[in-house]
Amino acid sequence: MAEQSVSIYRSMKDLPSTHLLGTGTPMCAGCGGLEALNQLYDIIGEKSVFVNAAGCMTLLSVYPFTPFRGSWLYTAMASAPAGAQGVRDALDILIQKKRMNPDDDMQVVVLTGDGSAYGMGLSATSAAMERELNFLYICYDNEGYGNTGQQFSAATPHGAKTATSTGSAGYPGYKKDLFAIWAAHKPAYVATIVGAEPVDLARKIEKAMSMKGPRMLIALSPCPTGWDFDPKETVAIGKLAVKTGVWPLKEYVDGQVQHTKVPRERRPVEDYLELQGRYRHLFEPEKNVRLISEIQKRVDDYWSNVED
Amino acid sequence: MYRIRFHGRGGQGMITASRILGSAFFLEGYEVQDAPRYGAERRGAPIFAYVRADDQPIYERGVIAQPDLVVVADDSLIPVPAAGVLAGVDDHTVLLINSDESIETWKQRLNLCCKVFTLPAQAEERAELRFMGATCTGAAARLLGAVSRDNLARAIRDELAEMADAIVEKNLAMALDAYDRMQQYAGSVTTKTQTGAGDYRKPAWIDLPFEDARISAPDIHASANSTEVRTGLWRTLRPVIDYERCNQCWWVCSTFCPDGAIKVIERTPEIDYDHCKGCMVCVVQCPPHAIEAVPEQTAQLQDAEQGASS
Ligand SMILES: Cc1ncc(C[n+]2csc(CCOP(=O)(O)OP(=O)(O)O)c2C)c(N)n1
Ligand code: SF4
Repeated sequence: MAEQSVSIYRSMKDLPSTHLLGTGTPMCAGCGGLEALNQLYDIIGEKSVFVNAAGCMTLLSVYPFTPFRGSWLYTAMASAPAGAQGVRDALDILIQKKRMNPDDDMQVVVLTGDGSAYGMGLSATSAAMERELNFLYICYDNEGYGNTGQQFSAATPHGAKTATSTGSAGYPGYKKDLFAIWAAHKPAYVATIVGAEPVDLARKIEKAMSMKGPRMLIALSPCPTGWDFDPKETVAIGKLAVKTGVWPLKEYVDGQVQHTKVPRERRPVEDYLELQGRYRHLFEPEKNVRLISEIQKRVDDYWSNVED
Repeated sequence: MYRIRFHGRGGQGMITASRILGSAFFLEGYEVQDAPRYGAERRGAPIFAYVRADDQPIYERGVIAQPDLVVVADDSLIPVPAAGVLAGVDDHTVLLINSDESIETWKQRLNLCCKVFTLPAQAEERAELRFMGATCTGAAARLLGAVSRDNLARAIRDELAEMADAIVEKNLAMALDAYDRMQQYAGSVTTKTQTGAGDYRKPAWIDLPFEDARISAPDIHASANSTEVRTGLWRTLRPVIDYERCNQCWWVCSTFCPDGAIKVIERTPEIDYDHCKGCMVCVVQCPPHAIEAVPEQTAQLQDAEQGASS
């Protein structure tokens, strides 16, 4: 196994105590995506250009206000990786022509929702990885089209209620395995993160920042509005996603997938589902044991294939 | 034509309230228009919705400029200029405010001659807030005097058809209770003929020169200037740190705050109330439970008292 690099983030006490991203953004109170963004922006820093595909987060910078200290650019839903290519090329040309000092170079960061990452923008992302574009891709995954009222996306989990998947069975499809799809391109780095596990998140961003090439991250983003829970539960739900095994924290480096936090005794998925209004139909008017066990079985099957 | 505007915060059910009222009017045989207006902001942020109802086809479009009835779910919105609660309110307008303060206080404070009604604010528990919309619709329907009890109930059942039975029943009970309580004021709302398109007079336009793209493109050259936006106004609950109990772990509240509104200086956390949206994540996550959720109104009253005594 490759030698483990030493992280400066050993415990929560090593995390920054003041934050770089500006307050006063229009994200919902309790937004899990914004929580993750706050944490990762502290590490990425202001020498960055964010290329943001349409979604909740494009409301971060609504003229004349921005929370970013560096640059930010808006693109259509499918086009952020193409936008990132343009920005990267422009920076490279400026450096090459000595119109910019290499020390002033910036990280090019794509920021998109799951609607873009798992769906509309997947082909542009695939092409960017193929070209080995030197960029960071962050997908905040709120498991639906949040900005337009939580319609289902290719990231919506089986059985969840969305604006377009109602009824007693919820969404009939299955969440796409974007981690595996991305990893199959053999990019420099792929990882899953969640704002409720900040040390794991910090280490992964730190690692990604030390590399070049396509570095791809998916942040599970509990969404009080779309998932229908009290905003104060955002972190509790994020932690439960990990403890129930619903959201495996893992990374892909050098052709190997490693799990970075294996829940020793997995809590039943019910503990996670029951807190969220989008799964209320699984518990009321009576408990849908069949569907809950199906969800549990998929999680169990996943972990039975994980060697530790 | 009846023109009704509903004001609230995202998550308080005002959009649904306006839809229910619109449906109830429709069941009464009216032509109806009902539209929500969201800003670029979300749950907790000021939003409004409006309903027009007439016995003839409605050709009027857009936001209601001169309302006959204004329903306010959250009285903390009234002093927020951006919420536009008082826009176009004149002597004929009826104001229905969800508030614990008296009608007289509101009339005096706002210097208004119009009719004001209040609904005593409900439980401060966030779980109860979702029924506030129903209470507002019920009271509004009675003040209008144009919607029967039966059609109000039917509209609620229709509009909430997808919700669990217990929730529909709770909404029904709240709405009908408010409807009954307003009995003696039935028909307080009057309509007003509005300026027609024919009488439209062109405003005194000011010509703005077309600037070079470098100036006119919406580029933001500032850094982190979103702090100018006071999202603290969204808050209905305020997290308050008990510094005696805080064990100065220093990271938990600050790291988890979705808005980055808690900074830690020399191991002491400090909440930025200008920007805290009141999600209460810190209250739940603080290991020694040193952060308490205080209703914003109570906290503001305490602030005012302290300010007066010092
Ligand atoms: C090509 C295209 N189609 C539709 C839209 C309208 N639109 C804007 S945001 C959005 C939802 C995006 O969902 P997601 O990527 O999951 O991000 P989220 O809203 O959840 O943050 C849609 C459909 C668009 N901007 N571009
Ligand atoms: S809809 Fe969800 S993802 Fe979008 S801003 Fe609100 S909480 Fe965040």
